[in-house]
Amino acid sequence: MAEDSVPLAAPAVAAVAEAAAPRRRPRGPGLWAVLKYAALTLGALAMLLPFLDMVLGALRTPAERLARPPVYWPQDPQWGNFVRVFDELPMLRWTLNSLGVTLAITVLQCLTSAMAGYALAKFRFPARLAVFRFAVGAQMFPFFIFLIPWFFILRYFPLAGGNGWTGSGGAGFLGSYTALILPFAVSWYGIFLMRQFFLAIPDELIDAARIDGAGEFYIFFRIALPLVGSGLATLAIFVFLYHWNEVLWTLTVTRTAPDLQTLPVGIYLLRGAYENEATKSVQQAAIVISILPVIIVFLLLQRYYVASVTSGSVKG
Amino acid sequence: MLSRLNSKEVAPWLFLSPVILFALVFFVLPVGFAAYVSLTTWDSLTPPRWVGAKNYQYLFATDPVFLKTLWQTLYFAVGTLAIGVPLALLVALAFSKVRHQGAWRVAYTLPMVTNIVAVAFIFTFVLRQTDGLLNRLLGLLGLPGPGWLTDPRLAMLSAILVFVWMELGRNMLLFAAGLGSIDESYSEAARLDGASEWQVFRHVTLPLLRPTVLFVVITGFISGMSYFTLMLVLFPGTQGGPSRAALTTGQYMYQMAFEDLRMGRASAVAYVLFALVFVASLVQLRLLRRGGMEAP
Repeated sequence: MAEDSVPLAAPAVAAVAEAAAPRRRPRGPGLWAVLKYAALTLGALAMLLPFLDMVLGALRTPAERLARPPVYWPQDPQWGNFVRVFDELPMLRWTLNSLGVTLAITVLQCLTSAMAGYALAKFRFPARLAVFRFAVGAQMFPFFIFLIPWFFILRYFPLAGGNGWTGSGGAGFLGSYTALILPFAVSWYGIFLMRQFFLAIPDELIDAARIDGAGEFYIFFRIALPLVGSGLATLAIFVFLYHWNEVLWTLTVTRTAPDLQTLPVGIYLLRGAYENEATKSVQQAAIVISILPVIIVFLLLQRYYVASVTSGSVKG
Repeated sequence: MLSRLNSKEVAPWLFLSPVILFALVFFVLPVGFAAYVSLTTWDSLTPPRWVGAKNYQYLFATDPVFLKTLWQTLYFAVGTLAIGVPLALLVALAFSKVRHQGAWRVAYTLPMVTNIVAVAFIFTFVLRQTDGLLNRLLGLLGLPGPGWLTDPRLAMLSAILVFVWMELGRNMLLFAAGLGSIDESYSEAARLDGASEWQVFRHVTLPLLRPTVLFVVITGFISGMSYFTLMLVLFPGTQGGPSRAALTTGQYMYQMAFEDLRMGRASAVAYVLFALVFVASLVQLRLLRRGGMEAP
């Protein structure tokens, strides 16, 4: 990227500079380069070979699995296993559940984070600092603290799922998509992140709109929000990938509601169904398919994802 | 009325209202509720019965498993950092000065976007004793292949290695970003003064990278201490691996709550673990401030 932005005159300038002060070459540049590529290649192999192992496993015939010693490289690749997966398992249902739940969480978190981040960045009001500190402090609370209480809050939520005013009588939100979505409607980290992005917008712009008679909600939705588009995209891709892969909570609330299970949870509960060594190829095919959508999303939006991972770490 | 709602004084509270409602129902209430439950005995079917600090007493004085899980959790958290951080730094150093960064990045970050269930299943096959990929490769080198997932002495180490594999991409990206934000002129100056590459790294790059290192260590420690989804899938059907050798405190709490229905005792476990993580992260935050970085 840096090479593209060098002005046209640069080569000439560089040549002059090189002639004036011959650059001191670091010792053994060849050796360093070789070591560098060797290390990177070795690491990349360690990263990718397990994926290849899974794909090869999905393609083996039962006979190849049961042979002693087992055949590693499938001689007669069973591409049909990838079709069988859809016949034998509710893959489509799981995928749609994953997609719906994850999209709902992403939209909710982006909206609540943007609104709260905007309020904390662009308004002066008495409790502002206290609210901000709360949001930062809340990030310190690990997820496992909430597992038990959330379960029962959703179970005894008043007037939900057949519950009365006192929260008893029905199953509450358990057994509904709300149980999978509502506890993740707000992200403390998202508020923190969006506040950072809104801080970069000049106050003058907002004040000018106020003088022109624009209402606060108009200013937020039509002026401020479009200006943090890339920040919002960064948050969205992060939230999406995180919740697409969420297992623990979904597993906890959908054990008794198979219709709500998502892709990773469905695959997790498969363990028992493919105990038999001969049918494990189908299980492996299901796993390969569960990985594919998110890899495609990742490849398309890589740049934003990298930004979202590193945005909290480097100062300024 | 509408214009009043749309005013500069009221609008911020309207923007904050969803978050405030959420905080009351899904943060303040649960934190208080869990604290209360931890002082009761409750099977979730009959009303809770107040027992005071008995649950905490039981965990430290009577429970033969709890302290074991704490040590194992610490082993996991420290182990993942001790292996993962230097490895990620090494990869980031090589990565930050290489062409075609996009392609390398894909290779290293693929595990990070793969769901944890798939990762764990991939490795239950890779780590199989008789015909797993790892032992096949070891066999090619003439080395014996141990039972990575069945030997109690190796079970937690296997979980650590899988976790390192999973997190390498994230840490590598963080280090690469940290390296990218360092002004090249410092190391250039050191090189002009005749410093070797190792000296430049040890005395120039590493001190400047301190904030990133601390960020990676702190966030890694917190997530490592509370982690157990991986072990749930990696050691199916067992209660935390062979001889419970890979049972972490988080998973112990989960089993207590949702399998044994001991909500009171499980909440006490959650609070003890939370207190440990909290204190540890405060200590690390102090170090972080000294490292020249404000709130993360």
